[in-house]
Amino acid sequence: MPGKHLRRLPTALVVAVAALALAACGDQYPNSTFTHLTDLNTATDALWNRLLLFGTVVFVFVEVLLLVTIFKFRQRPGSPAPKQVHGNAVLEITWTAIPALILVMIAIPTVKTIFKTQAKAATGSLQVEVIGHQWWWEFRYPELGVTTANELYIPAGRTVNFALKTKDVLHSFWTPNLGGKRDLISNKTNYLWYTPNADIADQVFNGFCTEYCGSSHANMRFHVYTVSEGDFGKWVDHQKTAALGSPVAATPVMAASMPGMPGMAGMKHDAKVAAAPASNMAADSGYVFPLNKIPAHAIPSTPLPTGEREVKFDDTLLPNGNAVAGRELITSMANLGKAPCLTCHIVKGEMTMMGLTDDAASGPNLTHFGTRHTLAGGIYASDAKILARWLKNARMMKPGSIMPTLGTGELDPQSGKKLAAGLDDRQIADIVAYLMTLK
Amino acid sequence: MATYASSAPEQTGIWSWITTVDHKRIGTMYLFTALFFFLFGGLEAGLIRLQLAQPNQAIISAEMYNQLFTMHGTTMVFLAVMPLSAAFFNYLIPLQIGARDVAFPRLNAFSYWVYLLGAVFITFPIFFHVAPNGGWFGYAPLTTNQFSPGANIDFWVMGLQILGISSLAAAFNFITTIINMRAPGMTLMRMPMFTWMSFVVQFLLILAFPAITIALVFLLFDRFFGTSFYDIAKGADPLLWQHLFWVFGHPEVYILILPAFGLVSEILPTFSKKALFGYNVMVYSGIMIGFLGFGVWAHHMFAVGMGAVADTLFSMATMLIAIPTGVKIFNWIATLWGGQIRFVAAMKFAIGLVGLFTIGGISGVMHSSPPADLQQTDTYFVVAHFHYVLFGGSMMGIFGGIYFYFPKMFGRYMDEALGTWHFWLTFIAMNLTFFPMHFSGLLGMPRRIYTYDAGQGWEKFNLASSLGTLLLIIATAIFVINFLKSRKGGLPAPQDAWGAATLEWSIPSPPPEYNFARIPIVTSRSPLWDIKHPEMSSGAAHADADPVQVASANAVPMREETEHHTAAELGIPMPLNTVKPLLTALGIVIMFSGLMFIHLDHFALAMAVSLSGAALLIGSLYAWLFSPLE
Repeated sequence: MPGKHLRRLPTALVVAVAALALAACGDQYPNSTFTHLTDLNTATDALWNRLLLFGTVVFVFVEVLLLVTIFKFRQRPGSPAPKQVHGNAVLEITWTAIPALILVMIAIPTVKTIFKTQAKAATGSLQVEVIGHQWWWEFRYPELGVTTANELYIPAGRTVNFALKTKDVLHSFWTPNLGGKRDLISNKTNYLWYTPNADIADQVFNGFCTEYCGSSHANMRFHVYTVSEGDFGKWVDHQKTAALGSPVAATPVMAASMPGMPGMAGMKHDAKVAAAPASNMAADSGYVFPLNKIPAHAIPSTPLPTGEREVKFDDTLLPNGNAVAGRELITSMANLGKAPCLTCHIVKGEMTMMGLTDDAASGPNLTHFGTRHTLAGGIYASDAKILARWLKNARMMKPGSIMPTLGTGELDPQSGKKLAAGLDDRQIADIVAYLMTLK
Repeated sequence: MATYASSAPEQTGIWSWITTVDHKRIGTMYLFTALFFFLFGGLEAGLIRLQLAQPNQAIISAEMYNQLFTMHGTTMVFLAVMPLSAAFFNYLIPLQIGARDVAFPRLNAFSYWVYLLGAVFITFPIFFHVAPNGGWFGYAPLTTNQFSPGANIDFWVMGLQILGISSLAAAFNFITTIINMRAPGMTLMRMPMFTWMSFVVQFLLILAFPAITIALVFLLFDRFFGTSFYDIAKGADPLLWQHLFWVFGHPEVYILILPAFGLVSEILPTFSKKALFGYNVMVYSGIMIGFLGFGVWAHHMFAVGMGAVADTLFSMATMLIAIPTGVKIFNWIATLWGGQIRFVAAMKFAIGLVGLFTIGGISGVMHSSPPADLQQTDTYFVVAHFHYVLFGGSMMGIFGGIYFYFPKMFGRYMDEALGTWHFWLTFIAMNLTFFPMHFSGLLGMPRRIYTYDAGQGWEKFNLASSLGTLLLIIATAIFVINFLKSRKGGLPAPQDAWGAATLEWSIPSPPPEYNFARIPIVTSRSPLWDIKHPEMSSGAAHADADPVQVASANAVPMREETEHHTAAELGIPMPLNTVKPLLTALGIVIMFSGLMFIHLDHFALAMAVSLSGAALLIGSLYAWLFSPLE
């Protein structure tokens, strides 16, 4: 009996909607678009609320009308033949005009918001260049001389003007909490600006690439740290400098940690003290967004690959990694074939291969790698064990990765061949130790 | 029941199908092939949802996932929904307008074979893990050699080019058929609504496909012959692809939905025993939708930075489309209002379309506002939106159409109990699958990701979507069982299976090869009601009394004496069966396939294959053109 089904339908719908509504209130939604954390998102959300209101009204009206109609006019035994109507001009004009009116009421705030949010950013806003790469994000602060990757620091309360570019295919820059997205288009610069509210310092927001960009599109994430103006200044001052591992600053480090005890903890401490005379700015380790303020949802929890893609590494080697040897490995021309890190990556202060510039570097700038909390396009937490496996076989860790497989005997999933001559686990542990000193 | 069955000697055997030029047989082949690909695309969706059921899963590799979502979209759009519509165009248009076949029966066979071979060409690579992986939208420059050096994109480019030939040939054929072959008295404004909507769709096809053809030719030349239309290293603007693709891609949405609107416009009046409310307005709104559909393509591109003025214009144009679409919804409800509604399976699906498409329409208006769209585009909210349009709209309408026209095609009803199960399971499952995607999208989940991290607030929505997909697969299995079982074992259906108003129901089920023993003379929009239920069509406009027409008021050939004769006995010339259209189609596909070897650096082989394909194409085309039709 269809009638029976139909009578159950409204109940079922109510239950379903109630369940969804309950579900929607019960949990945390860290990437919600319904926030008022920036001027952009406040404007968007006001528009959304209007769309949702009219949408709900139309939805309820049409569905109720439909249900009432099919219930009321279901075939019953002995009901008279239907009266034939072929149209009704008044009715038809009405249901053309009312939707048109509703659309006008949506269109007016839409146009206003378009012109407001797409106006030129206010002068004096912080300029940030966002450069998309398969599959990681480069962030440059051209006025401040800072280049970093996958982690974006912005001061709360100041307008940020993003200039969006891509090195390769199309990407799209999106932080759902902070505002609508904008595509990165080859051979074109797009702009997007917003002002994080002054009261949202010390928060972290997840960001995503939202234009399909190939194998690891899902693995192209980033994090936005909103910090106070003061902390931002400190962060910039430090990020501008050469890394502590650089020749200027690091020479004493090498001496201090030479024999026997190159543990990372000791390394850091020594570095700070020893580097002080070489560079005043480097002496202050600068501002780093404190790990204890990062909520769980902003700490990547991608599991290490297992099965065919597992990368095995002898973790016992890590505590004894020799940073000096690691530095030697990545900077020495003699090791170019084995660890050609500096043909793609810049570590400011270290000699690069052929005078690599930011524009020519195909990999992330590693100058202050040790101050970052994430790895590999924001999909892994920065951790020695993960970093070691990443260096050993990045292509297993992140499908399609352009970062080559470096571990001896490792299978490169892109060529299908095993790497004959590469780095052994001890050498990788040394490089890990070195990279972690790049505070 | 034998009196209702066609007694024309049935041509049997696989060869009779391979060489057929009968629009009904071709329609049947379209139906079976497209249903197969619908199931195939559904399985691809099943694997996608399996991978996304939980965060951080590694059931399917990133590379395979990207092939699956690309092929799910490509399959559903080009190999399932469009050809399912084509099945109805083929089967119904000649029957609805009182014609004996389409204008170009052999071209019709050619369209089918090109579709079948193109579909195989674009589908088989997935078994070798080299399926297209650039998304169904294939955005440059990801699809150029620089970023996609493998054969994957080659299969996609050439597969779509081949399929486009099929659609264009069919579209010209149907336009010619509808303009020239209507029965006497069937003015344009007396055509059944399905034929009307199909008519609009054919124009969309011939105007939209050239855009993607150009886009694909550029890409094909880039990939094989070193041009640089999309080569960013040489300064190409990749938005060229997007504009060309969406100038095709947005009308394509209406190509997918208007046939379903047409089917529903046949089903709703039949089962409420009322003429379609506001026929004229339904025609005009269909034309309006088709027309406006060409002016809104860039609403797919609000995020690319076109500037405030362009965003505003495309936003306003998009909002305008909501008006004719809303009119259709209200006119359908008005058709139901005051009727005597019979809830057979076909009717349930048709009402399902009205209810579910509305949701897709409302979320569509939400996208039309660019600032809001920038938070929604490329998230799961969009996935929810277009599945309400394409599943809740197109597929609901097509399912309704299958239940409705099955008795006409096979002379038997589909099982109503199984049909009811199919409907309710589909209805619940599709809402369970797609409604939560609204939430996961607005709560920050991007599209086209093969994995997502735990703790992002998306877990339960994804789990619900995946469970819904499982249920959808079960529902579809019930449909398949019903379909296969009812072909031979269903209740026998009379020629007028449902008490409908249009010409196709005036002839036997299944119809004889010549359709109409005598070409009917039409005096109103509901010729069959004129004869059988004059009370239902008395208020409708009729042609002025004309001696010939009055004499032929029952000229619609319902009388049984015409039912038991072959075309030869009745002196009706029928087109001859021929294999040439298939050979021509094969020639085209071989010609394209040859290019594949260029990328493998076998230039001589490539030329050999392509040239033999071209030779076959030209040879069979020549033979085709110089052999008599009848």
